[in-house]
Amino acid sequence: MATVPGVREEVVRVWGDRVGLRVQVRGGGPPLVFLHPASGLAWDPFLEELAEARTVYAPLVPGTSMEDPDAIHEVRDLAELVMVVQEGLLALGLQGADLMGSSFGGMLACELQATFPGMFGRQVLLNPIGLWRDDAPVANWMMTAPQDLPALLFADPSSPEAQAMFALPEDHVEMADAIAGMTWALGCTAKFVWPVPDRGLARRLHRVTAPTLVVWGAQDALVPAVYAEEFGRRIAGARVEVLEGCGHVPQVEKREQTLALVREFLG
Amino acid sequence: MKVAMFQQAPYRFLPEDFEQHWSPAVTMPYRRLADARGMTATYHQMLDELLLGARSGFDGVVVTEHGQAAYDISPNPSLFAAVLANTIRTEGLDAALIVLGRSLGKTREPLRIAEEYAMLDVLSGGRLVAGFPVGLSYDANINQGIPGVDTRGRFHEGYELVRRAWAADEPFAFNGRYAQYAHVNLWPRPVQEPHPPLWFPGSGNPATTEWVLDQDAAFVLLTWFGVKMGGAGIFDRFWELCEEKGREVNPHRVAVVQVCAVAETDERAEREYGPWLQKGFRHGPGILAPHLFLQPGYVPLRGLQGMLRNTGDPGIVARLRTVEFAELQREGCVIVGSALTVRERLEAVCREMKVGNLLVMLHMGEMPHELARKNIELFSAEVLPHIKGMWERDGYEHRWWPTGVPATAEAVA
Repeated sequence: MATVPGVREEVVRVWGDRVGLRVQVRGGGPPLVFLHPASGLAWDPFLEELAEARTVYAPLVPGTSMEDPDAIHEVRDLAELVMVVQEGLLALGLQGADLMGSSFGGMLACELQATFPGMFGRQVLLNPIGLWRDDAPVANWMMTAPQDLPALLFADPSSPEAQAMFALPEDHVEMADAIAGMTWALGCTAKFVWPVPDRGLARRLHRVTAPTLVVWGAQDALVPAVYAEEFGRRIAGARVEVLEGCGHVPQVEKREQTLALVREFLG
Repeated sequence: MKVAMFQQAPYRFLPEDFEQHWSPAVTMPYRRLADARGMTATYHQMLDELLLGARSGFDGVVVTEHGQAAYDISPNPSLFAAVLANTIRTEGLDAALIVLGRSLGKTREPLRIAEEYAMLDVLSGGRLVAGFPVGLSYDANINQGIPGVDTRGRFHEGYELVRRAWAADEPFAFNGRYAQYAHVNLWPRPVQEPHPPLWFPGSGNPATTEWVLDQDAAFVLLTWFGVKMGGAGIFDRFWELCEEKGREVNPHRVAVVQVCAVAETDERAEREYGPWLQKGFRHGPGILAPHLFLQPGYVPLRGLQGMLRNTGDPGIVARLRTVEFAELQREGCVIVGSALTVRERLEAVCREMKVGNLLVMLHMGEMPHELARKNIELFSAEVLPHIKGMWERDGYEHRWWPTGVPATAEAVA
């Protein structure tokens, strides 16, 4: 992913100097850590608007940067990823910062909170993965044909917001690189959740003490909305908001509503 | 040149319009498309054809591994190989047992592969060729649940373990990234010394072929597209690289699959086999959807960028669902005709590409058993004698072929 105007990237050496954790930063104000979904980081209007009042720090899962694809091989499993990201955030002085995560990133936020209780601030989970119910299995995004992804991610795949998310550059080389980059990012994040996105988070969620807001799209076809209740039940005091007419990406499909909830919750 | 019979286990009773509705791997529904009778006939006919080949003078028989695939129902080729090994032994056939092979990128039990291959080498009297494929992405990543980015790492670590387990004089602990064993003490060991010939199947990725040359092992181009189309560019690069590395340019370093069909005349061959070969390609692995064929992470980012940037005319590869026999014949994906035609075309293409191990595929898809038998009989009687030993006559030694049981071991037996 090309760096966006207004976004700077810091490379923090972590993990015994084996990994350069790339953290993209935008905006000003109190820090807010954003943990990206499985397809990698995209600076969308939601993050832009948040960056008006907060400094958004977005660490990239190692390997998901086009600059350093082999970094994924330095992180063996989810437990190591959690420590890699925690080292990076501490190195940037982000102890106590609020966390927000979308999908894969929501799971990562919970893992950070469960592994290091009290180290970070409040957290916002946008349709996180990480739990599994046999009666409502999480859909397999890795086996979904590209043309079927919009319907998996959006309640209304024809909306301009959904279309914009899947827009590709017109230039042939740029388009090839964009597809390759997103595919590789999916490959990198899959290392921590494939083949079934359940690494035992359900057994750790009781350790999360951070005030938590769970936002979910009622029509999420990827992670059914029953999981909103699962997260709500397992994280003490969590507030759950289920949005109608919304799929897996509330920050895109219901941006204003999601922004209002997040602003109110984070203060 | 060695000529072996390459055979897969395609389900032989798929519906006529299979390619319009179903995928050849991963998702095709078993209960809807297959049954016990069809599966039984598929396996028995397939094994009968391989044994016919072994009894008809082929230098070897070849089997492959594919899980959850309708075009090759062979989740573990060692089982087919064990059946073949016993017949080869009891009938005293001089045929190599070429397993191409158990996938080290897919398995969670690499030591099992070392054991199976050692058993097969013993059972076959030292006739095993040990093939080590990385494994196709759909099979390793989807079927077996290996994360794409780990596939190659697992392959290399597994290969190191197999080699150590075969060679070690003393038991050892293996502390791998993916596999850990407290005490590796393999029983049995391969009977060939120092080990069975090592063949590495691949699609011709330069990084892979370079690695194979560094191992001084044999490279197998595992493709259905044949020596000419499948090998275009790949073998030229391979032999250039071979010279650059100061390795002997010896055609026996290379093996490739070629679909062939022989009848009494060219016209009759095209009429009898054409429809079945066309259907074989239309129902084959080439129609698997790209997102299943290559899972994210399997191809490293730079390789993926290269693939997606250089999308030239993919030719028939992109339209196999509707491919016509005439196109397959024209492109050399299949070599079909009278014995003389097939012999001449095979000789020419193997000379040109310097192929020293020809793996002929004489059955495809739903081709009837009797027709496959006819193909095997005609090929072995009228083509095989003329092309066998082609490179040996030019003085090339074959260092990548099974040696049989060493004399010392035979004396004991």
